[in-house]
Amino acid sequence: MSAAPRTIRFTLNGRTVAAEVAPQESLVTMLRDRFALYGARESCGQGLCGCCTVLVDGRAVSSCLALAALVDGRAVTTIEHLDADGTLDPVQQAFIEAGAFQCGFCTPGFVLMTRQLLEQHPDPGDDDIRHYLAGNLCRCGAYPEIVQAVKLAAAKRRGAAG
Amino acid sequence: MASDDKPHAERFPFGIVGAGLGVVTRQLPPDEPPPLAPNADLAVIGRPVPRQNGRAKVTGATRFTVDISLPGMLHGRILRSPLAHAEIHGIDVTAAARHPGTRAVLVVARPDELTGATLRYVGAPVAAVAAVSMVAAAEALRLIRVDYQSLPFVADMDEARNATAPPVFDAASAPAGYASGFPARLNLPLDGNVRGPATDGRGDTAEGFAEADLVVEGEYRTQVQTHCCLEPHAIVADWRADGLTVYMSTQFTAGVRHELAEAFGLPLDRVRVIVDGMGGGFGSKSTLGSYGRIAVALSRQAQAPVRLVLDRQEEQMDSGNRPATWQRLRIGAKRDGSLTAISLVSYGTAGVALGAGVGNVAQALYACPNFAAAQYDVFTNASPGCAMRAPGNAPGAFGLEQAIDELAERLQLDPLTLRDHIDPSPVRREERRIGAERIGWRRRHAPGADPGPIKRGMGVAQSLWGANVQTNSACEVRVMRDGSVEVLSSVQDIGTGIGTVLAQTVAEVLGLHSEAITVRIGDTEFPAGPPSYGSRTTASITPPARAAAWRVLRPLFREAALALNAAAEDMAVRDGRILVRGDSGRSIDFRDAAARLRTDRISAVASRSDDYGGFRWRMADAAQARQDLGGVQFAAVAVDTETGVIRVERVVAVQDCGRPMNPLLIESQVQGGVLMGLSYALFEERILDRHTGRMVNPNLEQYKLAGACDTPAIDVVVLENYQANSATDAYGIAEPANIATAPAIANAVYNAIGLRLRALPMTPAAVLAALGKFPARS
Amino acid sequence: MNRFTWATARTIAEAAAAASTIVADAMTALPETAGPGDGTIVKAGGIDILDLLKENLLVPARVASLRDIPDLDAIVEEADSGCRLGAMATLAGLAAHPLLRQRYPAVTDAAGESASPQIRNLATLGGNLLQRPRCWYFRAAEYRCLRKGGGNCFAIPGENQYHAIFGNRPCAIVHPSTVATALVALGATVDLIDAEGAVRRLSLEDFFLPPERDLQRENDLRPHEILTAINLPPLPTSARMVHLRQGEKDAFDWPLADVAVLLDLSPEGICRSASIVLGAAAPVPHRAKPAENALLGKHIDESTAGAAARAALAGATPLAKNAYKTPLFEALIRRALLKAAAPIVKERG
Repeated sequence: MSAAPRTIRFTLNGRTVAAEVAPQESLVTMLRDRFALYGARESCGQGLCGCCTVLVDGRAVSSCLALAALVDGRAVTTIEHLDADGTLDPVQQAFIEAGAFQCGFCTPGFVLMTRQLLEQHPDPGDDDIRHYLAGNLCRCGAYPEIVQAVKLAAAKRRGAAG
Repeated sequence: MASDDKPHAERFPFGIVGAGLGVVTRQLPPDEPPPLAPNADLAVIGRPVPRQNGRAKVTGATRFTVDISLPGMLHGRILRSPLAHAEIHGIDVTAAARHPGTRAVLVVARPDELTGATLRYVGAPVAAVAAVSMVAAAEALRLIRVDYQSLPFVADMDEARNATAPPVFDAASAPAGYASGFPARLNLPLDGNVRGPATDGRGDTAEGFAEADLVVEGEYRTQVQTHCCLEPHAIVADWRADGLTVYMSTQFTAGVRHELAEAFGLPLDRVRVIVDGMGGGFGSKSTLGSYGRIAVALSRQAQAPVRLVLDRQEEQMDSGNRPATWQRLRIGAKRDGSLTAISLVSYGTAGVALGAGVGNVAQALYACPNFAAAQYDVFTNASPGCAMRAPGNAPGAFGLEQAIDELAERLQLDPLTLRDHIDPSPVRREERRIGAERIGWRRRHAPGADPGPIKRGMGVAQSLWGANVQTNSACEVRVMRDGSVEVLSSVQDIGTGIGTVLAQTVAEVLGLHSEAITVRIGDTEFPAGPPSYGSRTTASITPPARAAAWRVLRPLFREAALALNAAAEDMAVRDGRILVRGDSGRSIDFRDAAARLRTDRISAVASRSDDYGGFRWRMADAAQARQDLGGVQFAAVAVDTETGVIRVERVVAVQDCGRPMNPLLIESQVQGGVLMGLSYALFEERILDRHTGRMVNPNLEQYKLAGACDTPAIDVVVLENYQANSATDAYGIAEPANIATAPAIANAVYNAIGLRLRALPMTPAAVLAALGKFPARS
Repeated sequence: MNRFTWATARTIAEAAAAASTIVADAMTALPETAGPGDGTIVKAGGIDILDLLKENLLVPARVASLRDIPDLDAIVEEADSGCRLGAMATLAGLAAHPLLRQRYPAVTDAAGESASPQIRNLATLGGNLLQRPRCWYFRAAEYRCLRKGGGNCFAIPGENQYHAIFGNRPCAIVHPSTVATALVALGATVDLIDAEGAVRRLSLEDFFLPPERDLQRENDLRPHEILTAINLPPLPTSARMVHLRQGEKDAFDWPLADVAVLLDLSPEGICRSASIVLGAAAPVPHRAKPAENALLGKHIDESTAGAAARAALAGATPLAKNAYKTPLFEALIRRALLKAAAPIVKERG
């Protein structure tokens, strides 16, 4: 039996980091309170709105429903890393061009989910897009532009790859 | 320019572009900029300029209130009533205060006060703590002991109307006020839980119905909808000896400053309210709110900053909601469709609050000589409602526009033909024409015509909304000696992109690109801006922005005129240069003109003038233009008659907002309005357990919001409608776009299956019930 | 969220030894004594556990994670061409697995439509099967319902639009797992291993406990047992399987009704065996035996499928607000049967 807290080591946005976390600490709380990364935000608290989405080993997960200890030994990517080299990711660029947000609270989650979608389906159809975005909510209702942005991002990525 | 300080006549563009754009002559008030040309002749206004803060939003850099972290900041949390109606006999907070993490404890419902010791809904604030961490705050809350005495309650509106229902208030404790939809009515009678009626009328409806060849009558119900802002209600309060600073996710920084000053006895200059990123409001973040007061009181007590963020359950249970309504409509008409009488009786409940009226659309949408309405607010033991995107008109249109659809059918008239006959608005006439063409209205068939279990249908519904203005709206424009430009106002961007629109407005006047304008908003240190509610932001703040820019340009024109050896009144701007009108060879770079200024910075502040055409009414800082903002929406649906599932396949939304300042942002607003309307129509409903009065779906799991998969193809058409009313002639869009969607869908469902769904939401259960697919139960 | 401590487990035996308390038992303690006892509960992906912890429905002293146990997420083809699904396989992993998609499409469909994509990337098969019900009274700490050791069901007299239409007395929950609907239709078995390594294998259908057998637990997992795997039986090539679900929304939503159908049809299209299971219908995945019997020896067509669907719902006992589920289930069952039979119908036509 190990007593709280415990030290975890993981890769955060490309850097190896360590954190001493309490067992009950959620991943989103750790990212915000210990690493000042505010792009993932808790909103529904049940993993159904997508606002707290981060990538763990490349997969989009709800950081409000994951304990911080989950990422021990794994790689976490947050929205803040996508333009780490000063250049926006094609997905981010596409969201700006398509005007795919109003208030922007949900935007980081949509961008990260789109990243996973395009990794798995470089040329997604409407059904793929809707299937992958089923866990992201936008109360402002920017879905038409978001779907447009996903397609635009796919085209940008394919263009860059070709 | 010599006559600017006196009122003088000017010629303005007037009418709808593409449908009779003309010119009107109006008196221009003193010191207002000259008439603005139609968008086609402008460089920046009316262009699809992307949002200025896009990069911050896609990189997560935007700081929302929930992201604000101050040194030494504490975490606040509220203890809430578990009972729908209770009296508190005692509260013991000693153990909570002794918790090692506790820094402040506040009793909100204090038993020794005459008022405040009675709790009237599940979730009502009882007490609060501020502690060093969220975990500590939650632990401390659990240590508070409350002696509740449960009282009889009523959570259901129909039951609350019974004379035998437990009273929510007595005459002394009941809030005064009115059922919204008409101008305010005070001193309405209270009978049991029923406040009202607020009446309104014209003509004589008895005569009108006697004259009618046909009368349609129907009862309509709408549910409670919650705002579901993705950023919860949040505040960081920092009380210091020299003043109070509050970071708040608010729709109205200037208004919250007033409320704080009054609540805490502070002069306005000692209160500062700041919001940067704002994650949605939809009406629910219009005021300080009890949570705001609590956070500030905790900060004052703890002498440290306190952050208070509602969790999702608190959001759903106590952050406002759209009231539920019951409406009975009777409409009388002649054979040719002319309306002879409209009568409306409505009951609505905003829980322990008022303002559930729905009467505006029935009163004003159609020409009808005889109209009578009686509207009642019903108190229930449920959390207080508040404004939500087109309050009154969204539920009201659900009833009225179905009744008109039914009337058209009974008269064997096309619903558009009937509306052409009874709707006096030239704006909506044009909108119907455009929308019918876009949706392919000619292909519309009779109800139930499709073979097979999936039935398709098309429907139409209309809306109106006031062109609202906040006259207490000001804006400052500054030009630095290096030619850089700032626009400043306390107005906040709740996602609509008002910052970008301000930059466009100023850029247009100064002949610059909108990216060249630095926008500083969301801070009461700047001139007081309007609220972001009532669809009045653009209408209120873009005219003073243009006026301030125009005024600040005058010294620059003087400098340019000196440099170019010309007269100041002959100066004009284009593409970053100041030039001599009619002699573009003589020009000077905007920056070079600025460099000639005597001081480092020049500035002009302007406030919102009255509408040039006058206001219909004004109350304190709010006013309404004479014009109405008309909208027409068409919906195409598919109804699965075996599963009861309605899917909206297409919506065409045609909308008027005066001058469209930025089509990209406006179309986004309209789509958002349509989607919120679709979600209201099909999915959303606050469900209260009748035995406890508690919301059983206080989450985003079982309170259902439309997602990407539920989004139809949406066609947005925005009119360009000039009415010569202000320096920009721009009006609101967010609320108008939310009104017609649910009735358009309901009318399309009728056209698909030949059955009228008169209650929201239109769930599979409701459709299957209407189809008689299962035995009805009592 | 309340504080708790970690218990580490690197092997199944360690985990089983640590697993002194099953979640259902931890949740039946009286509220006054609901402070952390000394029990250890087990978490897999942790989705449901975190949800319960956040709502203060579950206040464990210790939590043991199965995450560090190697190979518990393996998806293995067995010699008999059945499949063994490790309990720690994620729903996303199941949904995307090529062999499963080909052989057990109803399972991958059900897994791929569960919850949200972000949850499917974390949630495990074992956790999905063991998750507690979504009944909104059960999920609110304010209601001490039968399933939490209290004396009342609040749903039966209350808001029951999403509740059970079969076996709904005295508790009207619906089983929350959509994957279970498909797995029960398949005749899957579950492996439960104790600290000594003894394996208890039982059919998934028997593993789930209706309220009349146990009011507080939805399944037969015992203290010091770990659910390690689900075994899928081999299917004849003539078997056809369909899973359909219908929510109010197309974006994330719990199903109002979900139906899994497994048919074995003769080359002539005669039904040799049928397994029809309804989800969101009862406190356990509901086997529609009357419908299965109605199909044996018959061609599947509009008429026989409709008759079977009606037979499936004949015994339904809807509550005040969920009678709509009866026609909805009938429609889905009929459609699922016709879809499952479609290729044969086509060949015959």
